[in-house]
Amino acid sequence: MNSTHAMTLALLPEAMLVGTALISVLIAMIRPGLRPDIHRWIACIGLVGSLAACALVLLGLRHLPSGIAVSVLNGGLVIDSFAMFIAILACVTALGTCLISDSVVRSIPSRTSAFYALVLVSTAAAEAIAAEREITTLLVALAAPLICLVALGALVKTNPRGAVSSFEHLIEGGVGLAAVLYGLVLFYGITRSTNLSAVAASAGAAPGAVALGVALVVVGLCGMLGVFPLRRWVGRVAANVPAGAAGFIIATSVIGGGAALARVTVSGLGPQVGVWRWLVPIVAAIALGYSSLSSLRETTVSRLIGQLVSAQAAMLLLGLLAFTNGSRSLPAYGMTAFLGGLGITAIATLASFGVLAMLQAAGISDGIEHVRGLAHRSAPAAVLLTISVGTLAGVPPLAGFLSRVLLISSAADSHYGWLAVVAIAATALTVMAAVRLFATLYADAGDEVPFTLGATPLLSRIVAGVACVAGIVLVVLIQPLLAVATAGAGTLR
Amino acid sequence: MNVILSTIIWSPLLFALIAIFLPERNEEQRARVRTIALAGAGVSFFVTTFFAVLGQIGLGQGGGLASAYQENHTWFWNFVFQAHYDLVADGITLPLLVVVTTIFGCAIFHSWKVHERVRLYVVLVLLVETAVNGVLCSADFLLFAAFWGLLLVPMYLLIRIWGGDGARRAAAWFAGFQAVSLGLIIATTVIVVVEAGAQTSDMGANLTRLPVVAETVGFWLSFVAFAIAMAVFPVHTWMIEAQSKASAGVATILSGTMLLLGAYGMMRISLIVFPGPAHYYSFVITGLAVVGAFWGSIGALRQDELRRFIGYMNVAQMSLVLLAIGAQTSVALVGAVLLLAGQGFASAMLTLVSGAVEERTRTTSIRAMGGLVTQAPRLAGFYLVAAASVIGIPLLAGFTGDFMVFAGSFPEHRIATVLVMASVIVTTGGLLWVANRVFFGPVRDQFARVRDVTLLDLTVLFPLVGAVVLFGVRAGAVVPVIANGVLEITTRISGG
Repeated sequence: MNSTHAMTLALLPEAMLVGTALISVLIAMIRPGLRPDIHRWIACIGLVGSLAACALVLLGLRHLPSGIAVSVLNGGLVIDSFAMFIAILACVTALGTCLISDSVVRSIPSRTSAFYALVLVSTAAAEAIAAEREITTLLVALAAPLICLVALGALVKTNPRGAVSSFEHLIEGGVGLAAVLYGLVLFYGITRSTNLSAVAASAGAAPGAVALGVALVVVGLCGMLGVFPLRRWVGRVAANVPAGAAGFIIATSVIGGGAALARVTVSGLGPQVGVWRWLVPIVAAIALGYSSLSSLRETTVSRLIGQLVSAQAAMLLLGLLAFTNGSRSLPAYGMTAFLGGLGITAIATLASFGVLAMLQAAGISDGIEHVRGLAHRSAPAAVLLTISVGTLAGVPPLAGFLSRVLLISSAADSHYGWLAVVAIAATALTVMAAVRLFATLYADAGDEVPFTLGATPLLSRIVAGVACVAGIVLVVLIQPLLAVATAGAGTLR
Repeated sequence: MNVILSTIIWSPLLFALIAIFLPERNEEQRARVRTIALAGAGVSFFVTTFFAVLGQIGLGQGGGLASAYQENHTWFWNFVFQAHYDLVADGITLPLLVVVTTIFGCAIFHSWKVHERVRLYVVLVLLVETAVNGVLCSADFLLFAAFWGLLLVPMYLLIRIWGGDGARRAAAWFAGFQAVSLGLIIATTVIVVVEAGAQTSDMGANLTRLPVVAETVGFWLSFVAFAIAMAVFPVHTWMIEAQSKASAGVATILSGTMLLLGAYGMMRISLIVFPGPAHYYSFVITGLAVVGAFWGSIGALRQDELRRFIGYMNVAQMSLVLLAIGAQTSVALVGAVLLLAGQGFASAMLTLVSGAVEERTRTTSIRAMGGLVTQAPRLAGFYLVAAASVIGIPLLAGFTGDFMVFAGSFPEHRIATVLVMASVIVTTGGLLWVANRVFFGPVRDQFARVRDVTLLDLTVLFPLVGAVVLFGVRAGAVVPVIANGVLEITTRISGG
């Protein structure tokens, strides 16, 4: 296969998405008064097309023992099983968002096409991040979803605080991106190469500069992942952006950030650059402690969900650390746990915000006080919120709990026992935070009248419900997810 | 395909899923919800009883370490370790399954006294039953932890929603302690899975010798986790609070099954998986048993609230079980399982009777009551049967258990056994003192119109009385079954 064909194949899933976004915008320009539904279905077709393109690549990957379908630009752009896993996950998240986005686009009828175009482009950018091992394109790929997601938040704002939170997201994301930029520039200065894997070879030449570069990159990417120290945007977006869009913004950012971190650390720096392997656990420990403690004192459901996503994202860092052999000289399977956890986190985030969107559509405010006695008023809403938040918080025996145990086990297997202890304590705290919410939902009677979720379209309810039920189903069917995650992690380990 | 254990575990959940979709607008609909729930608990109970009888025969014929029934399917394998949906019911599990399914059946019967949010109540009770049955049958660490964790939220809500004044605080205490217990169980699981090197979370496969440090740490983590659930001194406070503030039906589940699960976990995991430290630190376990026995029995005497009194009695009773766990002899451990069964029934009865008394007298104060035997002689009778079982009167469930615990523990820890025996005298005095204060003495005017037990009370209490008598009279039939299960523990402790 020549390089042009390879490049075409490599970029086909992303090209499908960007192309569909352009078509949607063009149609909106030609026929401004078109029903919002049309744009939604166009976006869905684009996403299904992208999934089909991913399936094509995966079909080709079956016959390649290396797990790498395409490697172009001197290995700077790699389409492998890992990139495909992330691409599929991003597409599924976006598809779910499009299907539950009725309540969001209803408030912006004239800008519907822009909404879906931004969803598609940020999904394409998240897909692209997973394929990058080259400094300059990685930076571009990182900047694209940040801009799209910030624009998305600003586009769907329903109050002034929405605009402010999007601006704060931009600033925080910009700081993170700048940190990554400076880190990568340092790498370039040391290696004179734009390929990340060259850093490992030159690590001994300038250990101080490498350490500083690694620190900057890790801190910057943690911002995209939504964990300490650049994590305030998660809570703000969760609280101020309409839930249907907030779920997508946060989930896509976590997927993109997770993919970037895995590519830079595991795939790029590898075991030769030891700095990140002591920096990441410290960041993880602080992030776990901070997010889980913060979740205990949240007063709004949306911010609570934001904190729980942040805690779950911090938990994913444990999987990153366990990418080499474990205590018994066997693969630690940390990357499998990482990808499995990333999948569960994305689905649970989508589910939680999907349920929240239904509550918002029914006129229920966001404060925990406002969902007091929700089970009296609408039992299905209370059950769905319980399952989705429980999955995010790691309440047993839901899928989030299982993913946390797998992440903790892999970290302990890789001699990060102390971090496993911190993670277990953090899980106990997030479970307590979830229990506090459940008590409000079920135990305390609210004085409002009963309501139904009928204000939300049936399709949105079904999609949100399926995402919630996935939190239970994935407990039983964890093996297929792990099998796919193991295949995805194969090229990174 | 053998699905008996799965049926026992999942049938309550299945019926809970049916109940959740039923309306509850009027009393007729609420009765339908309760009936469905009763069917769920009933299936579990009847399958357990039927299966327990067959299991007993099977174990009697086979002997050795064989388990009566087992289900094993690989859960996931694409990971650093494999996990299994591995269910086992051996000689320890079988009698305890009978105990818990009986108690849950009674708790569902008791739900006819619940008139608010019946559907949620029975669904939560059935969820707890699924979790309890699952914990008892799990032979995989991860599965065990998942079922253990499943207890937390439903039990918290049951205490919080249907409890009286102070239920919010009691539920918070419960959740806090149980979250710590869950965390410690996860930590134990991780240690065993990582350090044993068997690359599986199956309990049977992880019975290789762990490194000394890992074994010691694992033992203490699991011990504290189960000590919390078992309400061992000094981590017993949650139980006292929950026992006194939860509704009678929920408190019955708490005292009848939660404490039992803690003791079961201690035997199943702390002793079998970590036999070295369990034997080495047996003096600590025994010491805690002695302190707990006195703390519980003397603490009970200081209580004026009936349910808090029962809570402290539970602490004292669990100390007897802890003594047997410290002694680690076959006789003592068989006695401990029998005692758990007897304590489960008796404590459930005491809680239900105290609930009935509180309901009739509108007070929880022991000193404010008196002379109830005139108006409610059958209620007094039920209390005395339960108290007699706790004291260890022959032909009741507690007797054989008490006797075997003391007989089995004495050769190993003579002073401790004598001290714990002495505490039983205090416990006996306490139970009789309460009986005297509540049921005997002069009749008080305000209680002149107190009703005796109703048909519903009889329906709830009679199965428990029957079980207490059956386990007392036919203890000989159960002992060989339990001995088969205990054999695995003693074999491990002796280095086999």
